[in-house]
Amino acid sequence: MNWRIITALVSKDFSLFFRNRFFAIVTVIGIIFYIVVYFVMPRTVDENLEIGIYAPVMLPAFEEVQHEGLTVQVVKSEEELKEGVIEGDYVAGIAIPADITGGLGTEQKPRLNVYFASDVPDEIKDAVEFLIRELIYQQAGQALTIEISEEILGPDMMGMQVPPRDRIRPLLAVMLLIFETFGLASLITEEVERRTLQALLVTPVTVKNFFVAKGITGIGLAFIQTALFMAIVGGLNQQPLIIIITLLLGAVMVTGIGFIIASLAKDFMSVMAWAMVALIPMFIPSFGVMFPGSVTGWIKFIPSYYVVDTVHRTASFGAGWGDIWLNLLILVGVDIVLVWIGILALRRKSR
Amino acid sequence: MSTLCVSISRELVIYKCMFKNPTGKGGNMAPDAIVAEELEYVYGELVAVNHISFNVAEGEIVGFLGPNGAGKTTTVMMLTGQLKPRSGKAMLLGMDIARNIEKVQGEIGVCFETTNLYEKMSAIENLNLFARLFGVESFDGSALLARVGLQGREKDRVETYSKGMKQRLMVARSMVNRPRVLFLDEPTAGLDPTSAEGIRDIILEERDRGATVFLTTHDMMEADKLSDRVAFMNQGNIVALDTPLNLKQRYGKRALKAIISNKSGGLEDREIALDTPGTPEAVQQLFSNENVITVHSEEATLEDIFISITGRGLVE
Repeated sequence: MNWRIITALVSKDFSLFFRNRFFAIVTVIGIIFYIVVYFVMPRTVDENLEIGIYAPVMLPAFEEVQHEGLTVQVVKSEEELKEGVIEGDYVAGIAIPADITGGLGTEQKPRLNVYFASDVPDEIKDAVEFLIRELIYQQAGQALTIEISEEILGPDMMGMQVPPRDRIRPLLAVMLLIFETFGLASLITEEVERRTLQALLVTPVTVKNFFVAKGITGIGLAFIQTALFMAIVGGLNQQPLIIIITLLLGAVMVTGIGFIIASLAKDFMSVMAWAMVALIPMFIPSFGVMFPGSVTGWIKFIPSYYVVDTVHRTASFGAGWGDIWLNLLILVGVDIVLVWIGILALRRKSR
Repeated sequence: MSTLCVSISRELVIYKCMFKNPTGKGGNMAPDAIVAEELEYVYGELVAVNHISFNVAEGEIVGFLGPNGAGKTTTVMMLTGQLKPRSGKAMLLGMDIARNIEKVQGEIGVCFETTNLYEKMSAIENLNLFARLFGVESFDGSALLARVGLQGREKDRVETYSKGMKQRLMVARSMVNRPRVLFLDEPTAGLDPTSAEGIRDIILEERDRGATVFLTTHDMMEADKLSDRVAFMNQGNIVALDTPLNLKQRYGKRALKAIISNKSGGLEDREIALDTPGTPEAVQQLFSNENVITVHSEEATLEDIFISITGRGLVE
């Protein structure tokens, strides 16, 4: 390994990367944009469930429920209640009929109208309906003959839910990492297509020197930006070493993908096309963090899952080595395989 | 002394030349810079280079001529370590290329036919990069650029250069490490006559410095003017390798051409072959003719010779 040659090639690559107007602008603007996105996202989680009530005669049980995250907004008419639901002032509007107290405990079934906005998820509808039934039972003196025992598995996040900005943090980090595959693949493709690689390979530069230099360039570009982003958005406040190592392994992963894309692509447009095919699936694990329960176990087959999961668990919950060692091990394996495939494919192309 | 092996295959005279002192420079025994022994390269079914052998002495300029697809580039790629021969052996400066690739590549300079510069870098940055790759200490890129006529444009990005300027920069890049062997592929292609002449002067200067030059060109005049020897390549074989003068004497038509005014006041051409038994008498008769207007000698060009050897043109 000739480090004089590798250093010369790496400094040339960094210089060329930032002389490409597209990559230079996108890199700088991208990192600023992601930081802005992070800081404009809510920093707290509103754990209150807000409901609207129209009740000519307010039931005492409904007045007493305004605790433990339930906010009741009383309105003066059913029309006002409906408008509030449509406007999104509360997730559900409950219209209690005036004669409800007389009807309770008789064979008559008083009718309560509950209004939801069209985009309210089923879980919220079920929760509100369950709430109403329980309150009515209490009001009618027929409390449920069961006792509900609550047990929180894992850390109780009541009052300390992960804010949206921290949920989006792994997605932004992965986007920054993955974007560098475009830059790296483009640099390599240009070397092959413009035959500058041929000019290099008749000097003391060996193919091994070339790959090492490109690898360092790819890892450097991806890692520096992502680590900078994470530092600015507070992602390194907990377990910084784990996060740094994870980002480094993530940078190696995208370098391997960059090699593979470069071996397939012929020019900038085909780099873009191949990169989109490869990259879109890489974002999916981040959505699992942003919207828990929205993805299933199959996302573990997507390599970026191990970056996202490790970053999220470490930065948001303070997970330690014992919690994420398996993720890191799998990432190392994935990196070796991707870089190996990438080098083989590129070697074949450069012949 | 030289050993010349001649074999005849159909109409082609195929030389498998093992020249030891081909330069004709006072009979010095220059050591070999390049030795190719039975080099062969195959692309699939196509035999691109068919067991060729030749030597190039240090300080010699050898012109490598042939039509497209003759195997010239493949040969150069094997000699510069870009391709591994299927069989045969290539030595450069006494080193087996296959076994000492890094050392060999530290001693050579290659100017490619196709422009392959870093266009988003300036000329001086391109040269400095290659100087770093070769490990050249105290490199003066500006002086080299001035040598190829690019002074004043050192810091401009190559993408702003004309084709000719890029070509000159390619030549300059090939000389960054003061190579002992220079491989030049169409170094004057796309240049105006003055710039081309400048590059030819540089090639001669490099030779005078002691460098060996392996020149691939389609420009017969250039090959004739610069080369100590020329090699004709056709269909993967070297079909002739000798000094231009020897080739002309061996294969070229030698004749005198005259324009004579006839009795009716018109002009007529007359040609006298110089290698027939009746030549002396014919020449004497011509010069005793009072009506001769002009006389000039006709000499074969390298292209004529190539056609006469292979039956096909150099540019196809």
